[in-house]
Amino acid sequence: MAKLVTMQQQQHRYIPSISPSSLSDFGGIRLTIPIQQNQQQKKKVWHRKGGLQLQAMASSSSKKILIMGGTRFIGLFLSRLLVKEGHEVTLFTRGKAPIKQQLPGESDQDYNDFASKILHLKGDRKEYEFVKKSVGAEGFDVVYDINGREAVEVEPLLDALPNLEQYIYCSSAGVYLKTDLPPHFETDAVDPKSRHKGKLETESLLSSRGVNWTSIRPVYIYGPLNYNPVEEWFFHRLKAGRPIPVPGSGVQITQLGHVHDLAMAFIAVLCNPKASKQVYNISGSKYVTFDGLAKACAEAGGFPVPEIVHYDAKDFDFGKKKAFPFRDQHFFASVEKATTELDWSPQFDLVHGLANSYRLDFGKGTFRKAPDFSTDDIILAK
Amino acid sequence: MAATATSPLLLRRMSLFSPHPSSSNSTLAFPSASASSFISPISFSLRSSLKNRSNPISTTFPSFHVSASAKKKILIINTNSGGHAVIGFYFAKQLLQSGNHAVTILTVGEESSDKMKKPPFSRFSEIVNAGGKTVWGDPSELEKLVGGDDSPFDVVLDNNGKNLDTVKPVADWSKSTGVKQFLYISSAGIYITADELPHVEGDAVKETASHVAVEKYIAELSFKSWSIFRPQYMTGSGNNKDCEEWFFDRIVRDKEVPIPGSGMQLSNITHVRDLSSMLCLSVDKPSEACCNVFNCVSDRAVTLDGFARLCAKAAGREVKIAHYDPKSAGVDVKKAFPFRVQHFYAEPRAAKEKLGWSSSTNLGDDLKERFEEYVRSGRDKKEMKFDLDDKILASLIPTAAATAV
Repeated sequence: MAKLVTMQQQQHRYIPSISPSSLSDFGGIRLTIPIQQNQQQKKKVWHRKGGLQLQAMASSSSKKILIMGGTRFIGLFLSRLLVKEGHEVTLFTRGKAPIKQQLPGESDQDYNDFASKILHLKGDRKEYEFVKKSVGAEGFDVVYDINGREAVEVEPLLDALPNLEQYIYCSSAGVYLKTDLPPHFETDAVDPKSRHKGKLETESLLSSRGVNWTSIRPVYIYGPLNYNPVEEWFFHRLKAGRPIPVPGSGVQITQLGHVHDLAMAFIAVLCNPKASKQVYNISGSKYVTFDGLAKACAEAGGFPVPEIVHYDAKDFDFGKKKAFPFRDQHFFASVEKATTELDWSPQFDLVHGLANSYRLDFGKGTFRKAPDFSTDDIILAK
Repeated sequence: MAATATSPLLLRRMSLFSPHPSSSNSTLAFPSASASSFISPISFSLRSSLKNRSNPISTTFPSFHVSASAKKKILIINTNSGGHAVIGFYFAKQLLQSGNHAVTILTVGEESSDKMKKPPFSRFSEIVNAGGKTVWGDPSELEKLVGGDDSPFDVVLDNNGKNLDTVKPVADWSKSTGVKQFLYISSAGIYITADELPHVEGDAVKETASHVAVEKYIAELSFKSWSIFRPQYMTGSGNNKDCEEWFFDRIVRDKEVPIPGSGMQLSNITHVRDLSSMLCLSVDKPSEACCNVFNCVSDRAVTLDGFARLCAKAAGREVKIAHYDPKSAGVDVKKAFPFRVQHFYAEPRAAKEKLGWSSSTNLGDDLKERFEEYVRSGRDKKEMKFDLDDKILASLIPTAAATAV
């Protein structure tokens, strides 16, 4: 059944062909979705916008999938979705983090099922010869490159897999050239000098190699188990009852996208002919000011409205320390291309997403980085 | 227009005749039932081709709406002053040029009024030359002014009223004479300010805003098709109200441009041809347009500082910006600066999704054209006083007391 999408209204999702009873209520969001009419089909087919697109579905039977990374954040969610969908999933990691770890909110049944199926290819992706040999020996249909930073890291994978069906790359909206006319669209100019130029070079390489590739450009990612202190930075201060120091006027606009929504976008592009050689911005549906984000974190965690202290960053020298977790500028991207073309839309609005993160992570007493209020104290002392 | 019993088009037409679930709360949300109850033949891969910014209006994509070339009778009720005045001018011209439609534009007030000496009214001959009719009068007397015809108007656009007193007579008369499609120019100013942006259709609006009562009234009158458009700021030749001119005035005279706050506040400045194209697309696609609110804006924001920079670039000059706090400067910022001081940013998501509309505004190019016209008009040479600016800039200098000898 086709539909006219309204971004803020529709709650349409994916339709994988598994029974609802096996769904675990992972953090309040089912990992998969209510099934459409043809769940009885023996052939697993990706259901998208109704009958119009079934002819594109022929290729999406169970795939042999390689994820570069997958044990830290995005991949944790993505790998579970893929395994549930019936794909054979291998994680290529050095093995520093456990391949199998039960996630907060994940049912025992779901975890055990995942743990019994997930595969590991242990190695260092910077050892290119090893990568080429080991990956080539296995053979994979699809590669999800979640942790690639430099173009040179991609070459051995492409060389090893001449029959690769799709290379799906986690890039970054950080590649865009700063603009006076936001939001960033996928067609915007990119900055060859940015900190993320490796991502840009990777995209160029993929494009030049003639492989079927798709690139996803997230903005700021958040959610339970985030290793980047995005929401955690605010939660530490809110918990400690400390004021929130925000640089400048606090009206700078940023954008957060929940990791689960990002994982769903990665699923949406799998074997999707529309996504061939395309770039997609993936993030939340709305953007937020710095001040607004502080307040949203408070609301999500059940804290009182915080005191916000503005300061001029030029008045201070913090050395190597970061006094605030976001770029001090407007930085947001339109996700309209993805919502229009991919049968995907963000399910979490900001406050609900932050509440989900709080409930499953910080609110349970877990965090990645211990609080460091040294820069706050310098600011507040002035 | 023919439709077979099994065609999706018939399903669509049927849904138009059933009462539309008008919103019972403040937001005019999309009618949830009808939006997904029929098959849309619109191919999403075609829509992606609309991303090309240099191709603003796609009228080539297939959809099962009523034939776009059907000639329609369209009435525009136009305000006689202010930022919105230019909308009716562009809309009339575009309809006449592209649609073979019959267009009447009724401007409020008298033809002999001084207000008619200003653009766009001073250029209304262009409407007449294109085959349109221009009329003046009181919109509460429509029967007298434009009524009494055998064939009713197919479409009425109210680009005038801000409150129910002014729009009700127009809406009522339209309903009673069998007008099929009613369009209303509201304002994005009715959205409640929020920390999250942009304003999207369906977001909460200020209940006390007079436009809100008008929007609700129109939605409940059960026109076959009604649509509401919420614009922000406009630029374009024929504009009745200053927009970029405020910046040009200062830039060409090498004066500092005083901008309140940090200058990072976002706004939407849209070329009026985009508003016109959205309205025309709604006339072409009454089913798709039906019962929707559309943010009538381009799809890019601009910061206040960014706009000043773009104006300077268009003028081929440098710009010096002075940020200030209106309270400390002792000025009424509404008089001192042409745009809202807070973020004021809406996105045209509904128009893109439902109408397949795309924006053509390109401030870099558009402002160059505007600057050329600015200079042609001789305004760059006009004697001007900048009392409020002077007061603001003076307030930014360290006080005399501090430097007193």
